[in-house]
Order: sequence, then C-alpha cells, then structure tokens
Amino acid sequence: MPISQQPETVREYLNALTAALRAEKCPPGLIVDALNDCEEHLRNEIAQNPGVPEADVLASVVETYGTPAEIAEEYKSMEATLSGAGPFPKSEQPQDERPYGFFNVLSDPRTYGALVYMLLSLATGIFYFTWTVTGLSLSVAFSILIIGIPFALLFIGSIRVLAHVEGRIVEALLGVRMPRRLPPTTQGEETVWARIKDALLDIRTWSSMLYLLLMLPLGIAYFVIAVVGLACSIGITGGALFGLITGHVEFQMGGNPVLEHFVHTAPGLIVLAIAGMLLFFVVLHIARGVGALHARIAELLLVRL
Amino acid sequence: MTEETQYTRKFRKELMAGLSSLVLLAVLARAGREMYGYEIAKAVKAEGEGGLIFKQGAIYPVLRSLNSLGLLESRVEASAFGPPRRYYNITNEGLQALNDWQGAWKDMREFVDDALKAGGSQHAYQPTA
Repeated sequence: MPISQQPETVREYLNALTAALRAEKCPPGLIVDALNDCEEHLRNEIAQNPGVPEADVLASVVETYGTPAEIAEEYKSMEATLSGAGPFPKSEQPQDERPYGFFNVLSDPRTYGALVYMLLSLATGIFYFTWTVTGLSLSVAFSILIIGIPFALLFIGSIRVLAHVEGRIVEALLGVRMPRRLPPTTQGEETVWARIKDALLDIRTWSSMLYLLLMLPLGIAYFVIAVVGLACSIGITGGALFGLITGHVEFQMGGNPVLEHFVHTAPGLIVLAIAGMLLFFVVLHIARGVGALHARIAELLLVRL
Repeated sequence: MTEETQYTRKFRKELMAGLSSLVLLAVLARAGREMYGYEIAKAVKAEGEGGLIFKQGAIYPVLRSLNSLGLLESRVEASAFGPPRRYYNITNEGLQALNDWQGAWKDMREFVDDALKAGGSQHAYQPTA
C-alpha cells in the first residue's frame, strides 16, 4: 500500500483518510461519518497517552487502527453490504437499473418521499429561516455585550444541529447518504476565542446557514408546486368523474364556446379525466425530479469535508 | 512483523468479514452495559493475541452496520474532549443473533477443524482397492 508520507498529526491522518475514501468513490456523507469515527478514536488514543508526542502515538495507531487506505476499504465494503438491506437503494447503480417508464414513477418509493418532503419543506423552511435570521441578528446585536460571545457560540451550535437534523430528514425522505453523526464541535481544551475563530473560518458553518436561509424560498416553491399540482390533477379527474356520474358539469372553459360544449359531453369528460390522470403522473415526475435536485443541493451545502 | 503475501491478507480479510460482527456482539453482551467505540476497540484488543490481526479502525463500520440492522442500539453523548461519543448497547435481537451465530460458528469451526485434521494426520481417507 503506497503511503507517501507517514501522518504525524491527527489532521494529517484525517486528510489522508479523506483522500483514500475519495479514491474509493465513497459518498460525502459516508466520508464525514468515517472521519468522525476516526477523529474520536485518535483523540481518545492521544488522551490515553498524555506524555507521548502526537507523532509517536500516530505511528502506533497506524499499526493498531489501520492505514487510511485499509480503513477506507472497510467503510466502502460495509456500505456496499448495507445498502442492499436499506429502505432506499443506493443512488449509484440501481438507479440505472430502475425502469424509467412514464408510469413506473407510481411504484418508486422516492416519489412519495420527495412529495412528503415538498409538503414538509414549507414548515421547515419557515422555521429555519426565522431561526437563522433571528440568531444572526441577535448575535450581531449582542456582540457589544458580555453575553455576545456565548450567544454567538450557542447560535453556531444550533446551526450545526439544525443542519444535522435537516440532513437526517433529507436522507430519510430523499434517500441520499448524509452524515449520521453530529460533526465534532470542540477539539481539546481550546479557548473560547479559538473556538469562535474556528467556527467562523469553517466554511460548513456558512454553507449550512446559506442552506437554512435558502430553505424558505425553496420550501415555498416546493410546497406550491406539490399542492397546486396535486390539487389540479385530482380536481380535474374528480370533477370529470363527478360530471360523468351526476350529469352536473362544473367546468368553465373561459368563455370558449367550443370547449365549453366539449366538456359538457361524455367523451369530453372522459378526455378530461384522462388528462387529469396524466397530469397527476407528470406531477409525480416533477416531485421525483425536485427530490433528486434538492438532494444534490443538500449534499453540496450541508456536507463539508 | 513478517510481510504477508497478498493472498494471505485477502484470506484474513474475508475470514474477518463475518466474524468481526460476532466478536463485537460477544464483547458487548459480555460487558452487559453500553460502551463507546474506543472502549470497544480496547476490549477487542484485550481479547487475546489475535487482537492485532483485527484492525481497530474496522470495528466502527461494523458497529454502524449492526446498529442499522437493529442488533445494537446507540445514542450520542457529548464528550469532555474530542467529538461527541456514540455509545452502543446490544439489543434483545442482538442477543438472539449472538446465540444463533455462536451455534453457526461452532459448526463451522468443527467442520474446518475436521477438514484440516483429515488432511494432515495419518487417518486420512485411504482408498482400499
């Protein structure tokens, strides 16, 4: 196994592990989990050997813990065996196998996950936006007071927790692998200033915040698309069926007499019912597409290495 | 350390693939309390001389998989230093699985022992005619 440079610090080891996991083409969510496991182990190891220099501890750790390449391989193979058993197929290979016919969208579990997500995203979007804007403005306002620093730290912590919770929701409903652990917050006994500096320099803090803010417009759009789409398709089909059964036709065709007459005939109502059904499938396709798109956005902004 | 051949390493890896789950379940069942990853890694190392053939880094993905299968339950707790710890505990399903797997392992071991013994001893099967 080619190890160009023996890692001498925890950071170096984690970087080497990241590179190895990337080389194995692991999804970002898995990489973050592996890094957290590894960091927990290494920091424990260092804490157990107080007098020993970090480089020496790491040299022995590579013996007992394994080289980055070996660990990467373990995670990769474990994920491969697990993904078969999970409720969602891994996004890579089965997606190609899945028949992509127009009506198959009905039997695809991701469609419904995406639909639920779209309906949910209005509520979560409003909450995230309110929380972020309130926290951000209060942090800035309090910065001249003694409570400013603890408040800012608390706010940044809450952003991470929210981002993690959102990640879990995205994984459950949209089926994309997201981190299953909270990111490490404190590293050893750093000073408050160092922790604030770390948090401010950490791009993950900012990208998470951007995501949480972005969720309001996205949530509104998703909710509207889902509700309007479902209401129109179900309404048209239902109205046409109602007209066929009872003879009372409620459709108004904007004053166009030809269409107006057409929808008052049985064939016209049947055509409308079918059009409503087709629209329903189109909405399901849109939902699945939005789900896939949003999963990409979440992966891009919430998962940082 | 002697340098192993590529085949030996592959063989070890394949052997370990299923057995690591059994070992981890056994460690947690014996402890009878919840443990976090590093503690489990140390407990596995203390199991015997074979400890080193099992890389400690490999237990974390296995713990995850056992957790997602429902054989282990887990919770996260903040730690005084470093990232938050994930504590694992064995579930009733896990205990049941451990029991079944021990039986499977016993059968397997006897089968392999028999096969190896038959090959190396004088009592090997001799054609009579």
